[in-house]
Amino acid sequence: MLINYIGAFIVMILGLYIMMSKKNLIKIVIGMSLVDSGLNLLLVSVGFRPGGTAPIFITDLKPGAFFVDPVPQALTLTSIVIGACVSALALSLIIKIQEKYGTIDADKVRRLRG
Amino acid sequence: MNYVSSLPIIAIITPFIGAFLIGAISSNKKLLPAMKGIAIVSSLVSLVSLLFLTKPILLEGKVATYWLGNWMPQEQMAIGIGLEVDSFGLFTGLIITFSSFLSSIYSVTYMKEDNALDKYYTLFLLLLGSMIGFVLTGDLFNMYVMLEIMTFAAISLTAFRNNIYKSLEAGFKYIVIGSLGSTLILLGTVLIYAQTATLNMAQISALIHNNYTPVTILALAFMMAGYGVKAFLVPCHTWPPDAHMSAPSSVSMLLSGVMSKTGIYGFVRLLYMIFFSVGMAKMELLIILWGTLTMIVGASMAIIQTDFKRLLAFSSVSQIGYIIVAFGVGLSSKSSIGVLGTLGGLYHMINHASFKCLLFMCAGAVLHATGTTDITKLGGLSKKMPYTTILFLIAAFSISGLPPFNGFVSKWMIYQATYEAGYAPVTIIALIVSVFTLAYMMKLAQSVFFGELPKKLEEVKEVPLTMSITMGVFALACLVEGLFPKIISKYLLEPAAYSIYNLHNYIDVMFTKGFAEKMFKNKIPIPNMTYEMAGYWRPEAWFVLFIVILIGFIIGVGISLNFVKKNNIDTTCNFGDKYGVFTGGEKEEFAPIAGGDLFWGLRHNLKGYFGFLEKAHSGVVNDYVTWVISCTAVLSIYLFAVL
Repeated sequence: MLINYIGAFIVMILGLYIMMSKKNLIKIVIGMSLVDSGLNLLLVSVGFRPGGTAPIFITDLKPGAFFVDPVPQALTLTSIVIGACVSALALSLIIKIQEKYGTIDADKVRRLRG
Repeated sequence: MNYVSSLPIIAIITPFIGAFLIGAISSNKKLLPAMKGIAIVSSLVSLVSLLFLTKPILLEGKVATYWLGNWMPQEQMAIGIGLEVDSFGLFTGLIITFSSFLSSIYSVTYMKEDNALDKYYTLFLLLLGSMIGFVLTGDLFNMYVMLEIMTFAAISLTAFRNNIYKSLEAGFKYIVIGSLGSTLILLGTVLIYAQTATLNMAQISALIHNNYTPVTILALAFMMAGYGVKAFLVPCHTWPPDAHMSAPSSVSMLLSGVMSKTGIYGFVRLLYMIFFSVGMAKMELLIILWGTLTMIVGASMAIIQTDFKRLLAFSSVSQIGYIIVAFGVGLSSKSSIGVLGTLGGLYHMINHASFKCLLFMCAGAVLHATGTTDITKLGGLSKKMPYTTILFLIAAFSISGLPPFNGFVSKWMIYQATYEAGYAPVTIIALIVSVFTLAYMMKLAQSVFFGELPKKLEEVKEVPLTMSITMGVFALACLVEGLFPKIISKYLLEPAAYSIYNLHNYIDVMFTKGFAEKMFKNKIPIPNMTYEMAGYWRPEAWFVLFIVILIGFIIGVGISLNFVKKNNIDTTCNFGDKYGVFTGGEKEEFAPIAGGDLFWGLRHNLKGYFGFLEKAHSGVVNDYVTWVISCTAVLSIYLFAVL
């Protein structure tokens, strides 16, 4: 499934591009989420086996049936939760920055430099 | 040599349970002393349970294991999450728990004035638990999860005093760069999983030993960049100065002194275990160059700072460069030199933890007493805070590598190792950076503790007893590590170095006994540390060091004095008029020497270089992201070219 990998990497690269070029802090957080989403797609694709069934032990399994890899799915769940936490914390920091600085432009939020 | 023990899981789980207990009782404000008690006791329990592990692991060389949920490996495949503690993991764990325990005592007094302390202690324990979990686990994805909890707690603690603008800005920059680093690490983990279908480190190490495919090389590049962010190597070093200067000092000492060690731990595990690259000259060159760059940039940036804690953060960057150079030499194919480098790196890890924690505690004491860390507003504190001044000087001499303090021993070993490995230019650069370290520490001492006392600071008092005791413990550690290198080396460094080089113990725990001997045939012996290795009793070497430091100092001071002389002639000419007596004399007499900056002449004369560096650290978060991504790109290209 080459197309999955290509798609996942394209999503990640788009996210990185947003993080590098957009000056709005909220857009930077959107870029971070996009990178995370691309990574999650990649993770699920790694565990995918064409023709495999869901990794649940049931009694009437057909002979010759096989599972998709369950480990990456568990990893993806963890990664999604972590990504949500990071976005929430970053957005709450942006609210506070807006209160203190009066702007969310990355070119103006740069009192710590040098 | 397996050794099943539930002590590692106790060390990890106690801080987490403590964190949730504090969260559960946080609605009742009367229980604040109980919360402090929980924080101190949990960190003490972690420390003690790791101390119990020292006998079997450090002395007898066993590897402790604990399989979570009792999911033992089946048919040489790991299914569950395993904790595997070898000497190196335990060594890092001891640094972490020891410093965190002292920090928890320090913060009782230091954080007295703040509110929302329940949240502070919850986050503190989460940080502690995740750091221990990171170094004790044997599972790659578990490392990522612990790293993410660690980053999360550290960011929240950085932005803890959210009424100050700089905490918020630093927190935001940290979360962007930090989560980018974590993402890179996870990406590497996924690629490794795609190749090996396992997450257990021992199994991965056995499977991809000398078996590079394009996917694993890409994974190596991503993970190196990710751990570079965590260990703040240039150019991924832009978040620590912001974060360390804005966090409360009891936290910045953990971020700077201890959390950087987890980054280095990840780096060493990556290079020495997952991709066993000992003996690869190209890899050695890359790591040494990277460390040297980190060393130079960190020291250059530190010398132009005007904030106490920001200066210390940049000095951390520079010291991490030393450690990385040492571990780079450790990859050398000539094992005797490599082992010397690794020993020096391990020694510098423990030394950096002790003196950097002490320095941040001194910064915290100054902040606690005066309310500012801006060194242009401080001065003459030695009269009011003699105890803090002495401890600060001990730490400053340690970090600049003066005998008989601890920095001397480890830096000497690093000089020796780089020289013998054939990287003489790196040795010279390391010596010059060491002189620079002394310079900026003296600048700090001159403008904070000596000179004239500003009128505002007349009422300053010495810090309370609980704070000074914890500071004293670290100062004692600096002295002990400097004076008794043989004992430290025998009980801590040599077992750790042995476990870094001889992986068969670690892998045999996973597989059947004797499995690893197929791959790692020759055991690398670890020599006993002698006083010659530590640089003591070697008069001619001392003499060379003395001359180099003298020349460096003369150049440094000479540049400044030349400039001062020129400038003075100019000013006397200008003020030679009849009103000179009203405008000149009075102010001259009471002005502190050279203002807040002892080396302003040096800074002025090299203003092209320093101005370039200052402009490069622009403070725009997009630029910093670009740096990290270009670093990843350069690493990928280099690794694909040479491997």
